[in-house]
Amino acid sequence: MNVILKVILAVYNFFVGDLVILIGVVLTMVILALINFVGALAPLRGGSGIILIVGVLATLVATLGREVLRPENKQKA
Amino acid sequence: MQWAIVIASFLASAVEFVEAFTLVLVAGITVNWRSAIVGALGAVATLAVIIATLGVALVTLVPIEVLRFVIGFLLLLFGLKWLKNAIQRYSGLKLLHDEEAIYAANLAEARARGENRGRRLDPFGVVLSYKSVLLEGLEVAFIVISFGGSGANGIGLATLGAAAAGLLVILVGALVRAPLQRIPENTLKFIVGIMLTTFGTFWSGESFGINWPLSDLFLLILAALYLVVSLLLITAIKQRKPRVAAATTSFGANVSSQEKEAHP
Repeated sequence: MNVILKVILAVYNFFVGDLVILIGVVLTMVILALINFVGALAPLRGGSGIILIVGVLATLVATLGREVLRPENKQKA
Repeated sequence: MQWAIVIASFLASAVEFVEAFTLVLVAGITVNWRSAIVGALGAVATLAVIIATLGVALVTLVPIEVLRFVIGFLLLLFGLKWLKNAIQRYSGLKLLHDEEAIYAANLAEARARGENRGRRLDPFGVVLSYKSVLLEGLEVAFIVISFGGSGANGIGLATLGAAAAGLLVILVGALVRAPLQRIPENTLKFIVGIMLTTFGTFWSGESFGINWPLSDLFLLILAALYLVVSLLLITAIKQRKPRVAAATTSFGANVSSQEKEAHP
């Protein structure tokens, strides 16, 4: 069990290492998938590109925002 | 007609080769050349096996959208991580040279053990190079099969065009390699972060059927957009730092005055 957890953690650290980035990118992909595959959301398909770019930028801002608000960074400033 | 196949295949393949070679170059300069070349050769070997076993049926059997999605998704994760670290260093949230110090310590440790870390295979470099060459190589194979199907001996002519494009891109890439290695480490990582995020956005978008305006040229617009936003974020964090410090100081002062009131 411990070995499996270590493997999962190693894979996570190798590919992401940041939960905000992982959640942000996955959420953006889920939204795009819904727009692409759910018929009721078909009118939004034209804006998929903008939604993707905004999702990526929002993820970047969120992860940097978390770093800025960390207590050790506040003290460093 | 026959020259048309060669030229069309050359131009279309050149775009794909440039995209693949850019990321191999990135892996070579930022990680090490051994990892980049091993990754690229691994992808070429995988491609050779896929093409040898599937041949022309490749177009119908390998879902390129799925491949684009997986690689685009991973590039977005890698790219955002690199971009975040580079922005943190530029804005002062992280020390510019902390990783250099860690690297120097690791290098000294490896040398003490008799290893040469600069030449050691690095998983990140291998994977980055491998997946870029695999995706773009498959796209070149699709181009060759698509253009090659339109005339007599078409596959051979289209392959000739694609091979010429590949050789040209490798030659130009070898010439620009040396000047690129003189760029400071954090600048390089910043550029790489923007490039990986750009390619990741582009490919994952294509997997969802997004038709980017201007086709592959939109990569430049995306890169420019991410560059501008990143520079704005660096400026914003730098400006915010004194305010954060002031808020922390006043918070600290309030706490200490309250403590004094509670415990005079």
